Amino acid sequence: MPKTIVEVIDLKKHFIHRQGLFSFFKEHQHYIPAVDGASFYLKENETLGLVGESGCGKTTIGRTILRLEKPTSGKIIFDGRDITTLPTDELRQLRGEMQMIFQDLDAALNPKMHVRDILSEAITVHHRISDAEVDRRIRELLERVKLKKSKLSSFPHELSGGEKRRVGVARVLSVGAKLIVADEPTSALDVSIQAQVVNLLRDLQKQLALSYLFISHDLRVVELISHKVAVMYLGKIVEMGLSDRIAKNARHPYTHILWSSLVEKRSKETGQKAKSIHVGRWGVFDFERPTAGCRFAPRCPIYESKGRPTICIDPATEPQLREIGEAHLVACHFPL
Amino acid sequence: MKKYSQISGEISEFSELPFWKKADVVDLVYVGYGLLIVALVVVSYILGSFHFLPRDPQDIDLQLMMAPPGTAGRLLGTDFMGRDMLSRLIVGIQAYFLPGLLAIVVALCFGTGLGVLAGYRGEKFETVITYFTNLVDSFPRLVLILLVIAAFKPDIYYIMLVIGLTNVPVVASLIKGKIQFLKQKNFIEADIALGLPTRTIILKHILWHHCRSLLIIQATLGMAEAILMETSLSYLGFGVQEPTPSWGNMVQSGANYFMQGKFWPSTAPALAILFTILGFHLLGDGLNHILEGKRST
Amino acid sequence: MTTTPILKIEDLRIYFYSHSKQAFIRSVDGVSLEIAKGETLGVVGESGSGKTITALSILGLISARPGVISGKVGFQSDRIQKNLLQDLGDFVKLTARDGKIMEVSKDVAGWERNVERVMSRVRGREIAMTFQNPKSSFNPFTPVGKQITEAIRLHTSTKTEQEAEERALAWLDRVKIDSPRLRFDNYPYGLSGGMCQRAMIAMALASEPSFLIADEPTTGLDATIQSKIVDLLVELKCEIGITTMLISHDISIISRLSDSVAVMYGGTVFEYGPAKDILSTRFESKHPYTAALLASIPSTKNIKEKGYLQAIEGDVLDTINIPEGCRFYSRCNRVTEKVREKCERQEPDLRQTEAGHNVRCWLYFD
Repeated sequence: MPKTIVEVIDLKKHFIHRQGLFSFFKEHQHYIPAVDGASFYLKENETLGLVGESGCGKTTIGRTILRLEKPTSGKIIFDGRDITTLPTDELRQLRGEMQMIFQDLDAALNPKMHVRDILSEAITVHHRISDAEVDRRIRELLERVKLKKSKLSSFPHELSGGEKRRVGVARVLSVGAKLIVADEPTSALDVSIQAQVVNLLRDLQKQLALSYLFISHDLRVVELISHKVAVMYLGKIVEMGLSDRIAKNARHPYTHILWSSLVEKRSKETGQKAKSIHVGRWGVFDFERPTAGCRFAPRCPIYESKGRPTICIDPATEPQLREIGEAHLVACHFPL
Repeated sequence: MKKYSQISGEISEFSELPFWKKADVVDLVYVGYGLLIVALVVVSYILGSFHFLPRDPQDIDLQLMMAPPGTAGRLLGTDFMGRDMLSRLIVGIQAYFLPGLLAIVVALCFGTGLGVLAGYRGEKFETVITYFTNLVDSFPRLVLILLVIAAFKPDIYYIMLVIGLTNVPVVASLIKGKIQFLKQKNFIEADIALGLPTRTIILKHILWHHCRSLLIIQATLGMAEAILMETSLSYLGFGVQEPTPSWGNMVQSGANYFMQGKFWPSTAPALAILFTILGFHLLGDGLNHILEGKRST
Repeated sequence: MTTTPILKIEDLRIYFYSHSKQAFIRSVDGVSLEIAKGETLGVVGESGSGKTITALSILGLISARPGVISGKVGFQSDRIQKNLLQDLGDFVKLTARDGKIMEVSKDVAGWERNVERVMSRVRGREIAMTFQNPKSSFNPFTPVGKQITEAIRLHTSTKTEQEAEERALAWLDRVKIDSPRLRFDNYPYGLSGGMCQRAMIAMALASEPSFLIADEPTTGLDATIQSKIVDLLVELKCEIGITTMLISHDISIISRLSDSVAVMYGGTVFEYGPAKDILSTRFESKHPYTAALLASIPSTKNIKEKGYLQAIEGDVLDTINIPEGCRFYSRCNRVTEKVREKCERQEPDLRQTEAGHNVRCWLYFD
């Protein structure tokens, strides 16, 4: 029975919006609820895909889990240990096991260091290792991420996009990562290179029993690589379940809209979901003042078609995640 | 018509040109001259400390007053009391070299410390430190120095301390700005995520890799300023007193002889001041262009 | 092509110079394309393929040096007819060694003056362009509506400010922006990415051009907004039927909008022909690059089986180091023994295999 590598319980991250000179003293500061109560768990050797539009909080969840942001409330349990309020020095020891691949390709790479330095620094973070051993490990890493040895003496700006991504992955592996939060790992890459990186990530998962929190807006890749998928909207998880279930049998209106927006022409197999939902014109949603109750209501066609029932917008009856199928959770009063 | 031509043969995989190919001729000249001046100053300082001088700087020879350069073996002539100009100029460096270093060290250490705190920790630290540095910045430097002289004694080291402290805001805001710029690039965050200790991140990644050129440039400018300050004060009579030579007081005492048409006793040290300060400034400027400005991103 | 095409690009070459490597970046290295009236040409390619540079050069917007060095861009609309790169030869002198251009002498200032002269009545009025970053393509200090009316008054025969405003509002409504009156007075920072893109399309079309270039109209937008923009473009295409050059790396968008497709790689066109043939999974004579590109996108089959994606080995071509033979040879997975030597030594020409279908590959020539 594979163990749970990370569990998140009612995690909240609110960003305080400071305004003015005396914002230190304001009692009730204006805040942005970037993540507003997310709960899920991830097992070993498993990939959880996290999807949603920009601004929905998926990147913030990833960063908060790794304690790059301080959680406002809730619990993060990593490998059995509660790390929500763990002090920094103890946290640093654990850091090796939970790592992040950043959206920006240049993120992890100090432009003044060459690849060899970048990797050897990562290898020797937690232990003192002999030079020969460092060499051996670097060679091993290069083989794993399929990077040419000649690239060791290059600087980051001399590398192509795909190569930068590989160095980033190698760096993360060299500290002994067990959980990897991958934030849009393929977005900045060309289509033909994206396939390489996706294949690489799958290989690595098989070889090293890694767990991924795969954050992306590319729904097809998420569907391909994930075991489970969680759909986020304005800081809340609105649906979560096995990836093919979510893709083909979405129960939350937002999920359905997301997946049907895949501009697909080639395949004829999309005949499953014949229900066409007419969505009105998109407006701009004001994140800073989310609507009370269900956050999706202003854009929800079901809400419209049912004559705007109060149950959807009453804060007391805000839809919570509940199970409606095998390992399938939805937060909606009128699931499809 | 602009002409572009490609070299035949292999095009290198790497794009780093050695800096002498990348840099402007002008910048190289600046840096070359500046380094020459630095070398002269350092050598002179060493010679002066061990008294390896051509002649005794205090040796008065009334037969040879205000002699032009080359007379009787005095390479740079003599001053109004027949003392060897060259030896006096060399010894004059003692007046500002170590004090100048003090000013530089103070400015860089405290400036870097505050800058790192403000830039790295951010938020409250940044607000407080920015207010504080703005405050220090707004003090008129000369007034402060005169206050120090009046309150304590006209010790050049005290004065250099003040100069160092008043330069702290400049260094601090440069370092802070650099760190804030780097933070946007995400790799500081990636380092934290990796588990690197804060000490390593700050010292190695930020300061050594990205700030060292900045700090070197600030050091050159600091020395230029120290020289100017010391010579000005000595000229005004507040610094080094006669008969100990300082370039400033040499200009001062030589000024009396202008009416007699004897320009050399004043001009020689004045030129020394000019060329030395110019050297440090050009060094700083040239290095700035080469290391910071024309860099290929 | 029986009718004269609206746009005909012939052997276009655009080089840039890298001082640190002392070599040319051959961004566009001999591109020839044609677009017929009313047609939508989709240009597909990855980074470094030269597609955006080609589009920018049509409007004379290349500012880096040396820039355009050879070629012809013939433009013919109802109102004008000219070579947009006329007199290029007067300003450029090329020297080649071993068949490769190694030296370029160009009177940059003179050429820029020439471009301004030639393009002054063409930009916006005859050819309009929408750009990749909608937010940064607008003037941040002027309300969006004002920018549209400015374009209308400049390029059409609208007389009064009143009339221009009415037209602008009508166009904003047509691109399905919500609350057009409100958005008219908004500044660009107040609009989301999707709305900015719509506004930019409105501005481009309100000037009533004969030809539209759309550069990555959906990149950077959320998935749901992307499909809305594509729906809009399809609608506008049916309603107005404007000749369009659509540039994108997203094949799904190309397939929904294009009549013909040109596949670019490393500065050249690898394949060109009707969209329904090139992009369908069943069509046979496809360039190995096109085939591999289409195969590397997760298909429904891939996803169902949770199989591996068919990635193309190697990295995208670095346009400084152009190899001797075919540009795709080092990554190609369909090289046979019969053509291996040719692929390695000599670059194939773009030749026609069937009616209207051109491929640049040795596999198809005998």
